[in-house]
Amino acid sequence: MTKGGIDMPKAPAAKSRKKAAPKKHVTTAIGTESLATGFVRADLVFDGLDHSGASFEARIFINNPDADANTEMTVQNRYAGKFHVFGHGGCFGDVGHCEVRGVPRPYDPRPAHPLTPMRKVVIATEALRREIKRNNGKGLTLTIVPIVRSGTVRCDYENVLKFDRVSVVTYA
Amino acid sequence: MANRLTLRQNVESLELTSSGLIAFRDAVAKMQALSADDNRSWMFLAGYHGFSQFQCWHGGRIGLNQQALTYDLFLPWHRAYLITMEHTLRDQNAAAALPWWDWTSSGSHRVGVPLAYSTRRIGKTPNPLVSGPVPEVRSGRVPGLPPSPARKTTRSPGDPEDLPTADQVNSVLALTDFVDFSQQLQDIHDQVHGWTGGRNGDMGTIVFAGFDPIFFAHHCMIDRIWYLWQLRHGVQNVPPDYMNKPLAPFPLTVGDVLDIHRLGYEYAQASSSHD
Repeated sequence: MTKGGIDMPKAPAAKSRKKAAPKKHVTTAIGTESLATGFVRADLVFDGLDHSGASFEARIFINNPDADANTEMTVQNRYAGKFHVFGHGGCFGDVGHCEVRGVPRPYDPRPAHPLTPMRKVVIATEALRREIKRNNGKGLTLTIVPIVRSGTVRCDYENVLKFDRVSVVTYA
Repeated sequence: MANRLTLRQNVESLELTSSGLIAFRDAVAKMQALSADDNRSWMFLAGYHGFSQFQCWHGGRIGLNQQALTYDLFLPWHRAYLITMEHTLRDQNAAAALPWWDWTSSGSHRVGVPLAYSTRRIGKTPNPLVSGPVPEVRSGRVPGLPPSPARKTTRSPGDPEDLPTADQVNSVLALTDFVDFSQQLQDIHDQVHGWTGGRNGDMGTIVFAGFDPIFFAHHCMIDRIWYLWQLRHGVQNVPPDYMNKPLAPFPLTVGDVLDIHRLGYEYAQASSSHD
C-alpha cells in the first residue's frame, strides 16, 4: 500500500447557524510520485471527518477547481466519486454534551466518543488511474463539493464539510 | 426465545391488508401509545439510537490527531438494536416481525418510500408506520436555541431515482474484508438516511432517525445485506478482537449477533447474490 496526502486547513468557527450555501473545499496539490504504479485499487481516504452536524453528500472532482453543486458527475468534468455523511444533527444536550474527549488514556475502557471524527474511504480506482495518467506525474488537486441532504435547526450548514486530511492510497 | 425462526419479509411483497403487516402495525401502534418513560415504548427504544441516550455506533472512530482506528461496531450494534426492537414488538403482538425495505428495487426507484410506510390510513385506521412520536426537547439545553415540543416525525424524501442501485450493493458485497465492507455499506446507509429525511426530516439525522418507523425497515435491509455478505464470506468473518466487544445497552457481544439463526430470525428470499 502506498499513500500520498494533504492536510486541510482548519475552518473558522461558525458565526451563525442560519442556512447558508455549504462551502466547498479545494485542496492543494497531492503529490503522486510515491504512489505505486499499476495499482489494482486506489482510494481517496478522508480522515478526521466531522459528522456532528447536518447530513450531506460530498462530490469529489480531480483537477477541476471550478466544480460546484451544479457540475455534472461525468468523466469530462473529472468526477472521481462521492461519499455520504449521516450527521448527528447538532447538539441536543446541555453545554459540553457534544465535546469530544481528548486522547484516551491507555487503560480507559470506554469506547471513543460517538462524535469522534470519522474516516471515509471512497474507492476511486478508475478515476485516479485516468487522472494520474492524464496529469503526467504532476500533483492532483481535489475539489470537494458538499450538498446538504438533511439537518436540524441546530446545524451549521455553511461549514458542514470539515476534515483533517485527505490521502490517496493505492494497492498494488 | 421461540424455537421457530421469525421470517423478515420484503415490505414491497406484502399487501397492506396482509396478516403480517396487520400484526406489525398493531404492535407498532401499541408501542407508540406507551409513554416515553415506559421502557417498552417506541420513544424509549428510539432513544437508544438518538435523543437522548445516543448509544448508536456509526463509523470507525478515529482518535484525535490521526490515532489508529479503534473498531467499527456499526453492523453488529444495529443488529442487536433490531432484535431488541423486534422482541419488544412481539411482546405487544406475537405475530409481528420487522419487514425490510429494498431501496434498490424498481418499485422504490419509481415511487420512493413504500406504500406500507406512506399510506396515511389503512381503511379508517391511521397508519402508525407513517410517523412516530418524538418526546419534548426542553428549553435551556443549548443557550439561544428554541425548545421543541412533543411531535410526530416527518419526511421529505428526495427523487426516487437517487436511491442506491443494485449495482452499488453488488460492488459492496464483493469486498472481502469486513472493515472495508462495513465502511462501504455504511456509506450507502448514510445516503438512504439523507434521502429519506430530506431537508428537515427526522430520518436525516442521528438525533431523531430512530423515531421514524421506516428507520427499522431501512436497517433490516442493511442487516440483510450483511447476512448476504456473511453467506459469501463467512458468518464469523470479523476481526478477532471484535468478538467480545459489548454492544451497550444490549446484553450482547459482537460474537452473540453474528449468526442470525441463533438470534431467531431469517430473511425471506435471501440468496448469495443481490437480485
